[in-house]
Amino acid sequence: MVHKLRCPTPEELLTGRRVVRTITMVTLLCLETVFAAVAQEPGVHYWHQGVMPPGAIGGRQLQRGGPLHGFFQPVQIKAPTGALVSLAESGSFEEPQKAPRRVGMLIGQVYRIRVMGIPRNPGMEVFPTIEIIDRLYTPRDQMDRFAIPVELTLADLELALQGKFVTRVIYLEDPANALPVPDDPGAQDWFEAAPGQDPLAVADALGRPVAILRLGGRLPDHAARPNEHFLYGCPPVVKYPRRAAAPAPIPSVPSPAVAEDRRP
Amino acid sequence: MNLHAAPQSTTWRMLLIGLCALILCSCRGPIQSRHGEHALPVPYDNQTLPPEAFAGPMADHVATDPPVGPRGGPPGMEQGVPLAYMPAGPWAPPGMSQPWPPDEYLRDGGDRGLPAEVSEQWEVLGLELEDTIAHYDTVEGERVVEPSNRVHIYSPRFGAVRQVVSLRANEQRRRTAGIHSPMTLVGPTTVQVVADSKQNIQAERQIGTKSAVDFRTRQGDGVLSSRVGVWGFQQDLFMPYENVRVIRQGVLEGAEMAWLARGHTAAVAWTHEQAVQIILDQRAAMAETAHESIESVYTLKRPPASPRLRVIKVASTGAAGPGEEVSFTIRFDNVGNQVIGNVTIIDNLTTRLQYVDGSAQCSLDAEFSTQTNEGDSLAVRCEVADPLEPGEGGILRFRCIVR
Repeated sequence: MVHKLRCPTPEELLTGRRVVRTITMVTLLCLETVFAAVAQEPGVHYWHQGVMPPGAIGGRQLQRGGPLHGFFQPVQIKAPTGALVSLAESGSFEEPQKAPRRVGMLIGQVYRIRVMGIPRNPGMEVFPTIEIIDRLYTPRDQMDRFAIPVELTLADLELALQGKFVTRVIYLEDPANALPVPDDPGAQDWFEAAPGQDPLAVADALGRPVAILRLGGRLPDHAARPNEHFLYGCPPVVKYPRRAAAPAPIPSVPSPAVAEDRRP
Repeated sequence: MNLHAAPQSTTWRMLLIGLCALILCSCRGPIQSRHGEHALPVPYDNQTLPPEAFAGPMADHVATDPPVGPRGGPPGMEQGVPLAYMPAGPWAPPGMSQPWPPDEYLRDGGDRGLPAEVSEQWEVLGLELEDTIAHYDTVEGERVVEPSNRVHIYSPRFGAVRQVVSLRANEQRRRTAGIHSPMTLVGPTTVQVVADSKQNIQAERQIGTKSAVDFRTRQGDGVLSSRVGVWGFQQDLFMPYENVRVIRQGVLEGAEMAWLARGHTAAVAWTHEQAVQIILDQRAAMAETAHESIESVYTLKRPPASPRLRVIKVASTGAAGPGEEVSFTIRFDNVGNQVIGNVTIIDNLTTRLQYVDGSAQCSLDAEFSTQTNEGDSLAVRCEVADPLEPGEGGILRFRCIVR
């Protein structure tokens, strides 16, 4: 007996039971995938977590658009009295200078700095990183007055020297929910994130996170000539001149005043 | 039949596997950088900046030659150190009102939220933080509330959230392997199932858009007083930021609108032409005079009573840091056509504004008082002693310290 080979017609293919079963399986698979993805979404969704590596959050921020790309955000780096701060440039650290320092940093880049002369810890050094994840929209005539304060407190530096890893998320306070306490320009108000809490999520609930300071964890192999990965490529930085001493406080009755009969 | 079924089964199986692979691969992932070796952080892309955005020795080449590759600088700086991106004018997302973003500005003035009202027992209802209102009584016994314009002061304040994590790589915990406890069963164990549980759901943060405050005013047929001054103040002189005619004389000039808009006032309709007009048969309503042939009869129809109080607020500065002092000036005028009494101005200061005790002054005879509000700040209250005739007005000034 000779079998004749023949090709099935399209109608036979489309109306077969096997085709129906296959389509059903694919449909169920798609639905299962979608529902599984939706079920994994938390009730409150934050875009980022504080444990993400340096540069990841800022890089994602740049992808969201807006006038962030290429903007040098003024930052004021504060440190304890007597401490010296040096920035990374051209593959090494510059000459250390006294704090506070005002610099312009790019959003999304990671800046490695070197802190020396820490009080009560002679000869010890800490290499924190600063990541700017958002910017201020300061009026142009006030650009030199307002900067994001990044404080290197003595307690945090000593924790880093003890082997701890300290993360500080600096946020812009929401004026609608501001605490009715005077702001101390010498010490920034801060909260301690509870164990298990995400500091970025806590800061996001209190305001708008703008910068992340990380201390501890890593030391360069050669302090004089650290490798490029340790310095995160030495992104560009703008160094603003040191501001002069604060002027005398404005008297309660300012002068000169405008005489009333000066205008018709 | 089996000879035909085998290739079909194989074909559909392959199709099914391919479709599943396509679905699994269609998940969204982070956009990778064009520079593969610098995935994190995202490198700075010089090609998107204009040529004038660079400085240094390579700037001349950038203006003429397109970048073709690394020229010796670190990643992202092949053409030199890029300068700051400075957009022309304040930037705001499309559809957002200025000033933006609102979390960088302190606001004071206006009547946001529920409209403020004054009850029969002189209790002010609906007065929220940042509100500045004035209320008065009319001749007919009606109690009217007029809000002021809103003042914006750039004053960002920062905080921090800290987390300390310690490494425990060298520690090792040894647990008890087992416990020999020869205890007999004395009773059944009851397992209580949790009936309900609490789930803490945090509110999502949302940035709202607040539109500009409408400023309703009308200059009636009263004559504005040009004799309002700062007599009785400590220096009897106007402050530099008060040097506008609308503050000095109550007369609004079109040329000063831009200054007022920039000077932290959001009033948009202060001119007489933009107020509500009364038109009858394509003619403006006016006094009607009738003339008869035998005798002359003059009928004068007075316009309906239209009490109105205009409240304009300005600040001494548009930007202030914590600890700095800001002066506020409120100019109020009776622009209606009848006398008003019990004029009271209330400024419910926001949380970050601390009133300087004893700094309030008024050009008219007035009584000041303060009261702690829900934001742990103060509500400054100024009660003008005498009624205000049409065209009369006054100036109120006080100081605050930014917290």
